[in-house]
Amino acid sequence: MLVFTLRRLSLFIFTMLLLTLLSFSVNFLFPGEAIINLSGAINATPNQLIELNEAYQTHRNIFWQYIAYLGHIINGDLGLSMASQSDISTEIVNLLPATIELSLVALLIAMLIGIPLGFIAAIKHNKPTDNLILSVSMLGYSVPVFWLGLLAILTFSINLGWFPSAGQISLLFEIEAVTGIQFIDILMSDSPYKWQAFNDASAHIFLPACVIAVAPATIFIRLARTSMIEVLDTSYIRAASAKGLTFRQIIFRHAIRNALIKIIRHIGLQFANLVTIAMVTEVIFSWPGIGRWLIESIYQRDYTAIESGLLVLSCFIFIVHILTDFIYAALNPLARGNKYGA
Amino acid sequence: MARDKIYLEEIFPSPFMQLWSIFRKTPVAMVGMSCFLFLIVLAVFGPLLAPHSPVEGQLDMLLLPPAWHIDGNVSYLLGTDELGRDMLSRLMYGTSLTFGLSFIVVIISLVIGVIIGSLSALTSGLKSSFLNHFLDVILSIPSLLLAIIIVAILGPGIGNTVWAVVLVLIPQFIHITRYAVKEESRKDYVLASRLDGAGPFRILYYSIFPNITDRIMGQATLAQSAAILDIATLGFLGLGAQIPLPEWGATLANGLDLFYIAPWTVYLPGLAILFAVVSTNLVGEGIRHALKLRKAR
Amino acid sequence: MNYLKLVPTALLSLLLLTACNEGGKLSLSERSVIYCAEGSPETFNPQLVTSGTTIDATSKQLYDKLISYQGDENTLGPALAKSWHVTGDGKKITFYLRKNVTFHHTDYFTPSRLLNADDVIFSFKRALDIEHPYHLVSGGRYPFFENVDLSALVDDIEKINDYTVRFHLSRADNSFLANLASDFAIILSAEYAEQLTKKKAKSDIDTHPIGTGPFKLKEYRVGSLIRFYRHEKYWQEPAQIEQLVFDITPSNTGRLTKLLAKECDVAAYPIAHKKITERNDLSLEAVTALNVGYFGFNVNKAPFDSKLVRQAISYAINKKTLLEAVYQGNAEMANSILPKTSWAFDQSIPKQKFNPVLAKSLLTLAGYSDGFTMDLWAMPIQRPYNPNAITMAKLIQSDLKNINIKVNIISYEWNTFLQRLKRGEHQSFLLGWSADHPDPDSFFTPMLSCSATHAGTNTTFWCNQEYDAMIKKALQTPKINERKKYYAQAMAILRQEVPLIPIAHSKRYQARGNNVTGNILAPFGGINFYQVAKLNLTSKNTGTKQSRKRRKNDIIHTGVN
Repeated sequence: MLVFTLRRLSLFIFTMLLLTLLSFSVNFLFPGEAIINLSGAINATPNQLIELNEAYQTHRNIFWQYIAYLGHIINGDLGLSMASQSDISTEIVNLLPATIELSLVALLIAMLIGIPLGFIAAIKHNKPTDNLILSVSMLGYSVPVFWLGLLAILTFSINLGWFPSAGQISLLFEIEAVTGIQFIDILMSDSPYKWQAFNDASAHIFLPACVIAVAPATIFIRLARTSMIEVLDTSYIRAASAKGLTFRQIIFRHAIRNALIKIIRHIGLQFANLVTIAMVTEVIFSWPGIGRWLIESIYQRDYTAIESGLLVLSCFIFIVHILTDFIYAALNPLARGNKYGA
Repeated sequence: MARDKIYLEEIFPSPFMQLWSIFRKTPVAMVGMSCFLFLIVLAVFGPLLAPHSPVEGQLDMLLLPPAWHIDGNVSYLLGTDELGRDMLSRLMYGTSLTFGLSFIVVIISLVIGVIIGSLSALTSGLKSSFLNHFLDVILSIPSLLLAIIIVAILGPGIGNTVWAVVLVLIPQFIHITRYAVKEESRKDYVLASRLDGAGPFRILYYSIFPNITDRIMGQATLAQSAAILDIATLGFLGLGAQIPLPEWGATLANGLDLFYIAPWTVYLPGLAILFAVVSTNLVGEGIRHALKLRKAR
Repeated sequence: MNYLKLVPTALLSLLLLTACNEGGKLSLSERSVIYCAEGSPETFNPQLVTSGTTIDATSKQLYDKLISYQGDENTLGPALAKSWHVTGDGKKITFYLRKNVTFHHTDYFTPSRLLNADDVIFSFKRALDIEHPYHLVSGGRYPFFENVDLSALVDDIEKINDYTVRFHLSRADNSFLANLASDFAIILSAEYAEQLTKKKAKSDIDTHPIGTGPFKLKEYRVGSLIRFYRHEKYWQEPAQIEQLVFDITPSNTGRLTKLLAKECDVAAYPIAHKKITERNDLSLEAVTALNVGYFGFNVNKAPFDSKLVRQAISYAINKKTLLEAVYQGNAEMANSILPKTSWAFDQSIPKQKFNPVLAKSLLTLAGYSDGFTMDLWAMPIQRPYNPNAITMAKLIQSDLKNINIKVNIISYEWNTFLQRLKRGEHQSFLLGWSADHPDPDSFFTPMLSCSATHAGTNTTFWCNQEYDAMIKKALQTPKINERKKYYAQAMAILRQEVPLIPIAHSKRYQARGNNVTGNILAPFGGINFYQVAKLNLTSKNTGTKQSRKRRKNDIIHTGVN
């Protein structure tokens, strides 16, 4: 486990360096002066500019500038938004939890739908059920998510009126943002309408989360199906059936556990995919998350916000990636061996 | 008794031909294939076949519903948008933009990716390990996110979208080629030709490539469906094709304001994207299925 | 792996919670109204802006004026001033303030006294007096006060006693009272300003507003929402709703979606009117805004220096098709520059006839029997008074072809367009005018007076002494009926001279759920949520509730009038 941790840690540091280097160099690619792009101080007075140049070490060579930039990031200073002149790190701290919340719920839905369906398809391998599930799953990952979102709003919000179409919660509820994760904030708040707010927030998250979940769910179907087929083909399953266990016992006691472990490895990669889909979906469902904010920053050519937003988002994705690797390793001793890893 | 051939010659079809003979026998894959070919024809000849201009509108034909609707007009088969532009013509032109461009994008990134991938397969050691790490990082970032990042740097526009998607797809091709070449080089037939004194490039070209084309093609269909979705999504977000261009995603975004009075301006481009992606995926499924069967033989 | 079994249970309970009844929430939503607004306000002080979006979010919600327009007749009535007195020469105007007006009590300010003369003097001096300590806070520009040149008109504002204020004017001006009733002339709190000066946070006066209006600001999230609470100690009956939320939704489709999905109760500027009218739980309403879209001529340039040519063209244009194609029926046909809602509107003006034959003979009379070629400048952007000038120009082009006039359509980028117009480079043009307040003078003087040709708002360059004399007389007469007569004469002159052809007065639209009662759209632009109430459609005693609320409304009306 120690070797494994060290390997992951080296990969983590390598990636972080690469990502910061990338976002640092991006400042020179954007139009305008790098120092303004880095700090976002578009209205800076000459005196402030001198201070900024000092802070970002622009008089020294590029290496020291990068070190100075890293220093700023480690201190949590991501500069000011060029469009609104507000502090980007506070904005991100306010927005990222909403995206995480939405993505986690979507991931949960995707797994709850995808994995059982995949197992069913594997058990009914090469039968009509299998084919049906596979066809539906192909349709699921072919459909453009923004179109699906619009259709969902039209059907479920407007024609049927079951779910709200926009936002995180009805604006009538005043919930103080403590953690940023809406559900936790609601439960912590002392509002007299706590449970109504909770219901309202669940109704708001359901539709966008389902739309996001469609594509990852289809991938979970395939993963679950493949891994289940593999497991069912192994000798220990054959041994179990030779022992006289019923099919049901074999599936529930042995096959599912072993098949699940293989899927967990892929959750990290799927989560990255899911966050991207969430960015687009946030635009359609006016979800107050980082994706919508980032896309608006691109419209406004708010370079400081783009650069910092991307850095934070990709770091976040990568951290989730590494975390799932750890979970996988913790659950599956085989993965800790030297063979696995980069 | 005269004989044409002295030896009874057994013909071994090339791996690609084997694949094709299996592929041909899967009806669903063939349907996908014909849709795919249809789209290619449309992408090339669409601008010639389109009945109306995609950007110039007819002011007296605003928001006409599709022809099967009671208020429809046969000369505007799929209706018109808020500026009286023919939806059918816009979709046909859009085929060249969304589908055609994604096809070109895939070809460009395939060529670049395969070259870099096979070259890197021939190297080893520190360089190789660095590339491995680098690919790991890049591949862990989803293609759409990466495309958005690149467009954010280059600025919105259809040209920049194309470059962004090319850049995004290249690592995938590098990865698959590298992996495939490494796997093949371990096989005996490569060893045989190496013992015959063939240089690395000769081996690559004559021995390895014919055996990995199918896998690269499988990857290409995946890349194609990703490219269509990425170009359309960027167009929808207003980061790709700009206003008058009839790119499918942009057309859909343009129809948003009309969603409740002229829903066909949203339904139709969405269906077009779905159709293109499904046919591409059917072809891809067909290839992967055939690959599996061939291996099983 | 027992935790895996927990997950479905958790989700199931979550779904159950979603499904369970929402009894409590109904009461909250019953006491609140969500308004889907089209944009964020720039500031919370209407003195500083002219933008309609900002006025909507601030003026009538947060503040009161000394006097206001009231009733269907739109006459001036008391507001914060319970009465006023104008001296015979019209130069001294005294306001007697109400003694029971409280300012907002919010998280950031607790008022210690009631409204008095100091607040009124502070509010006006801030905008008019360049030396005032608050004049330069937030930029120092007060566009409305500059446009009507109020600083030249007002010599002094005098405090007679705590509840009496006197304005000394340099000359009599009948639009002065109307200007005080406009959405820009609001009353701020001098006590709050003092506190802010001590705290060295002067600019907070425009970002954290304190007024006397029916609602007070609770929360503002830029680009997302404005939350207002009811002002419990409002000097009139407090508003019926406790909470008012502006959900800022710039996307047209977004607003419509939220309206259809019942996520907002009222939506500004809805699109797809057909979709709204076909739903029986929603309704669409409109007021004719105080504006006019017109087709103007540069009378300094041939052939439009001839009155006959201008008249001929006015007969050759089919306004009805213009209204249908360009405004899609969302506007009223204009017979004069004044909309119907103005008190000076003259019923006797006959409808402009569409008569190409008459037009042709007039052209022959003017000596242009073979027609001519002209340039028509069409504005490049969408405005309420003309949503699509280019299309309108194309339609006019085809109309005028019938009387042998060939039209070239010209358009520039908006700012260039306006600058070139001011320099008089055009022959004819499509433009419009939006009035700042309902006094008819806000149409007559800036659009067509001689002085306006210098100021650049009269780009027809038409200057008629008789007309100018009429509108000046109207401004100096205090009696409404006399003013009405003068304006009727001015309009008769316009009808003869045709410096411009008025085309349409457009409407402002709004959609709402049928459970929201009470007027929101103010007749002269702007919105007001003071009288809004919400019916609980599920409750059984809807009828009685409604009638009770109606009665309440009536009481308020009588109280005000």
